[in-house]
Amino acid sequence: MAHGYKAVTWTPFKKRFDAWMLAGVAVYLTGFSAASSLATTDGESFTPVQMLIRATGTLAFLMLTFILCIGPMARLTPRFKPLLYNRRHLGVTTFLIALVHAGLVTLWYHGFSDINPIVSLLVSNPRYDSISGFPFESLGLIALLILFLMAATSHDFWNANLGPGLWKAVHMSVYGAYVLLVAHVALGAIQFEKHPAYVVLLASGAAIVTALQLYSAFFASGPDAKTRPTDGWLEVGSAADIPDSRAIILEPEGAERIAVFRNGNKVHAVSNVCRHQGGPLGEGRIIDGCITCPWHGFQYRPEDGRSPEPFTERISTYETQIRDGIIYVNPRPLAPGTPVTPSLIEEAVR
Amino acid sequence: MNHKQDDDSFFIGWADTPAADRRFFLRAGLGLTFGAAAMAGGLAAFQTPPGPGMWNQGAVREWRGIVTGTPYAMLRTLDLGGGPRTALLSCLGKCGVAARIGSLAGKAVVITGSLIQRGRHSMIAVNEMGEWIREDDTPADPSLVFPKPEPLGRISLAGEILDSKCWFGAMRPSEGKVHKSCASLCIRGGIPPAFFARDRANKSALMIMMDGGRPYGYDLLPFLADPVQIDGALSRWGDLLILDAAIGNFERL
Ligand code: FES
Repeated sequence: MAHGYKAVTWTPFKKRFDAWMLAGVAVYLTGFSAASSLATTDGESFTPVQMLIRATGTLAFLMLTFILCIGPMARLTPRFKPLLYNRRHLGVTTFLIALVHAGLVTLWYHGFSDINPIVSLLVSNPRYDSISGFPFESLGLIALLILFLMAATSHDFWNANLGPGLWKAVHMSVYGAYVLLVAHVALGAIQFEKHPAYVVLLASGAAIVTALQLYSAFFASGPDAKTRPTDGWLEVGSAADIPDSRAIILEPEGAERIAVFRNGNKVHAVSNVCRHQGGPLGEGRIIDGCITCPWHGFQYRPEDGRSPEPFTERISTYETQIRDGIIYVNPRPLAPGTPVTPSLIEEAVR
Repeated sequence: MNHKQDDDSFFIGWADTPAADRRFFLRAGLGLTFGAAAMAGGLAAFQTPPGPGMWNQGAVREWRGIVTGTPYAMLRTLDLGGGPRTALLSCLGKCGVAARIGSLAGKAVVITGSLIQRGRHSMIAVNEMGEWIREDDTPADPSLVFPKPEPLGRISLAGEILDSKCWFGAMRPSEGKVHKSCASLCIRGGIPPAFFARDRANKSALMIMMDGGRPYGYDLLPFLADPVQIDGALSRWGDLLILDAAIGNFERL
């Protein structure tokens, strides 16, 4: 897969988003430190490093929980979609906060001795055969490595070079990281900090993420039509069903989804998968004559699936036809960038 | 069909944010920021208090007294009230200094270091940067000679094994599972292990631990920070309580 990549440029929204995010992180960390000092009497305070370990640990858990809720929320209500497109920055920030947590733990608890801190992290508690005594540090370390892998490959360069499929697979491992993180907290901090508030927070975080994921998996807006071929062509539906500049998404059995767009009285069918990061083109719309991806705004000409000059992205196109006001699509994809003559909707239907 | 007709505020990253989305995100941003503050305050407030204990590393001074290296490095010195007090000795990090006492054991010495103190428990972190121990030319007060152990009988108590240095004030908090690996490093390095027990009346006691009059081997490490019941011989060494118990007499709870 040798096509180039374009970095998504900074937009005013992204800048505002990052400003809010960093402000939120700062508010949490200062709030936690202030409340920790207020809650303890003089001479019985937390050492600053240990307080920061706790502040960053809890924050990383809360942020990862929030991140995992964004996907399902965006599928349930489009309002959250902008968060979805900017989830990366949240992810990278969460990794950095978790890294500070891990770094301080390694330095403080495993440093100041002549044993290598990383070795100490893995061997100083040998009770791998116990549940309540399990060395929870190793779980956190694996979760951190997963977050690192994701943060490191979050740049578009990797998306372009690994291909959207593999990239997505790598980034699905975040669910594994979350499971490890929940276990890390349950077998670690919660074994010592037994106040019910912590147990409730951990359990409700895990429950909300699971429930939202399940709910959106079952009820979210999937493809608009799941179609079986009739004489080799797929039935899309009445031309009147597609609003102007918008699309209907179909899912041919065992093949990539197809977005069928209407542009005025012309009907075009293209692959539903954006070359950038696999965004759902069929949820986008036609702007300035180009199909525009809802995720980061990559554009393609509907008639041949090519990005306008100077860009070079191409997506597959499909043949269409209209019989008795019903649109049909040939589910065999044409080579990316192949021009196709659009089918025309008769006046009556418009 | 579904929502596609009605979300007319189609969002594209590079275009201007539609007004409706702007309002929504402004509210969401404010809500999340307040949420973050409330969450931070709540989570911090419910923490178990870390306990007392102080270590002012900058306050390095000289301590005079009689030193020993068995079973652990200790200095018997005079406290502010003029009475004898036993301070355990450690390096600046997670190690003991027993092996470095050598031929000075039993002699009057001057030790340079900083004090780690929790209540009447104290430890001196010796100042390894310079010559931290030297023989004292003036003889020590006779009350500083290490007294003979005074047996107090056999006891069986439930509690937690921890490392004396962190518990005395090098770390706050210094107990429980999250601190287990650190305690393990300290004790492996030669910091004396201690047993912190609480009885039914919630009275607590801290005992320095040893095994047949000697330090433990690495087989003690898996028991650290776990709730254990220990059966052993208690004795008083001046102002220290000592628990002598073989690992065979530990029971994990
Ligand atoms: S996925 Fe990024 S623009 Fe389409």
